[in-house]
Amino acid sequence: MKLGWLIATVCLVCLFGFTMALGMLGFPILNSRPLPMKDALGPGPGFFPFWLSLIGLSLGALLLIEVAREPAAAPDTPSLVPERAPALRIIAIVVLLAAAAVALEPLGFRLTAFAFIALTMLALGLTSPLPVAISSLLGSVGVFHVFYQWLKVPLPIGPYDYVLKPFGL
Amino acid sequence: METLDHLLAGLSAAMSMQNLAFALAGCVLGTLVGVLPGVGPAAGTAILIPLTFNLDPAGAIIMLSAIYYGAMYGGTITSVLLNVPGEAASVITCIDGYQMARNGRGGAALGIAAIGSFIGGTFAVFALVVVAAPLASLALKFGPPEFFALMLFGLCLVTGLAGRSLIAGILMTVVGLLIAMIGIDPVRGAPRFTFGVPDLYDGLGFIPVVMGLFGVAEIMSTAEKPYREVIKTNLKNILPNREEWNASIGPIIRGTGLGFFLGLIPGVGAIIPTFMSYVMEKRLSKTPERFGNGAIEGVAGPETANNAYANAAMVPLLTLGIPSSPTIAVLMGAFIINGLTPGPFLFVEKPVLVWTIIASFFIGNIMLLILNLPLVGFWAKILEVPWQYVCVGTLLFCILGAYSINQSVFDVWVMLGFGVIGYLLRKLDFPLAPAILGLILGPQLEKSLRTSLEMSAGDFTIFLTRPITLSLLVLSAAVLVVTALNLAPKQLRQATDD
Repeated sequence: MKLGWLIATVCLVCLFGFTMALGMLGFPILNSRPLPMKDALGPGPGFFPFWLSLIGLSLGALLLIEVAREPAAAPDTPSLVPERAPALRIIAIVVLLAAAAVALEPLGFRLTAFAFIALTMLALGLTSPLPVAISSLLGSVGVFHVFYQWLKVPLPIGPYDYVLKPFGL
Repeated sequence: METLDHLLAGLSAAMSMQNLAFALAGCVLGTLVGVLPGVGPAAGTAILIPLTFNLDPAGAIIMLSAIYYGAMYGGTITSVLLNVPGEAASVITCIDGYQMARNGRGGAALGIAAIGSFIGGTFAVFALVVVAAPLASLALKFGPPEFFALMLFGLCLVTGLAGRSLIAGILMTVVGLLIAMIGIDPVRGAPRFTFGVPDLYDGLGFIPVVMGLFGVAEIMSTAEKPYREVIKTNLKNILPNREEWNASIGPIIRGTGLGFFLGLIPGVGAIIPTFMSYVMEKRLSKTPERFGNGAIEGVAGPETANNAYANAAMVPLLTLGIPSSPTIAVLMGAFIINGLTPGPFLFVEKPVLVWTIIASFFIGNIMLLILNLPLVGFWAKILEVPWQYVCVGTLLFCILGAYSINQSVFDVWVMLGFGVIGYLLRKLDFPLAPAILGLILGPQLEKSLRTSLEMSAGDFTIFLTRPITLSLLVLSAAVLVVTALNLAPKQLRQATDD
């Protein structure tokens, strides 16, 4: 826990430092220009981010001291790192969500959702083919119909609409 | 008299078939959100926003509000039957509710929770009707300095009551405020931290961030530790017996008052009223040793306080535009998506809409009582759905919801990124609520501060020369000092350490 807090606090301090540098100096390589602290009418666009970053940096330094002074955790404290099987499930969720984000517009919602549901169910330990197939079909085509057809929520159709449409999908 | 006229007009609009259907759909979905462990009310409400995209603003807000307080009702069911809270405010119900279920009185626990919630919620809506209009009129006199101080006070309360470290709480608020800085500067219109990426010009979407921090992160936590089997208990007899009734009347009355008054304070989260109610009932009881072993007072009081709070928390949102909790912040986001800015001007500009929404709370509470008492067996059955289905369904709705807000895959990436960050921060016990409130209040806070300084030609004493502003700033400082010096009541600290 202590190491985790230290790492998280260092990350936050870096974030505040970067924000402050970005606001004050600007990095042309990142398409960023300095933000003026004030202009003719009063405080400028850089005013609020500067003070926030300064507060963040100061508090980050205080938190680092607070965490560093904390006693080490007892040996029987449960580890923050999950065991192998849960860790694999979590990684699978992240990878599958990323894959869905990549595939959403090129493949369309129905195909992406079908593959996402089927693969996520398998990754989470549901291996029975029939429930997986039925859930994937209902979850993809059913949800698409409800949201796209009934509720008129714009969802990506994808290039294979002409293939799916004759089947009522 | 004018309030009554407005309320009657609102009631008439809320009773239209269309709005009744939206309220019913919201109550059902909200209860479902509350029942399913791993989907909290903030994530549930955010995920379901796409359902309302093509509704008129009143219908959309009625439905989303119903989802919110439906989730508050539904969370009790998992607390009693699974010993896993469906949402954070139901944590305390686990203690005695679960014991009652183990003793074969699960039905009575759920019954008294539903009845108490109805009484607390309905009273809070009555009180809302009474205080909303005067408070909104008062707030109309507020200028930018007062609004800045008020928002700062709300943020200080959330930060001060948010977990084991005050510094971590403030840091998370600053992170939320900094994330809110991305996009177009709200005063001058200059792009900030956009790196030339067009998707960043509108800033990071509030809803994808909430879906990530609360939805995806919760599912990742569930995938790490799936919830346990449902306890089999007697759900046929859901009405408490005479002895249980007698024991519950006092806690229900006290829970109503406590929940309502705490709901009025911007920044007090849902968990605090329930915990305080539990502690109060235990202290007042002649047999405190029964608490923890299935005392019905330990269910009746907190559950009543929870729903009184849930309805009263609408007061700061509707009258001042200040959200009290992440879920209320999501509702505020829904208002903004629908082109409405919650706050005192809404009462002037859209009185019918505001009063329709308020009137719908009465209807929603009645619907929830009907849904919860006879259908408790049905909701209990839903708990038997394997956790994998819940995870997959929630993730799919997260993708759909994040994408459909702007039809942008970028928002799906934002959701995923904040999901991973939220999971890690949860593991480390960093509080997330201050970040969410900082994110939604950031643009208004900055605008109020800068406009105030423009009014005073850069002189900061403007905040010290106006009585309301000064009082609020002193209160904000007091909250932080009390927290920093560890002077807050022990029970309150324990509640917020969760």
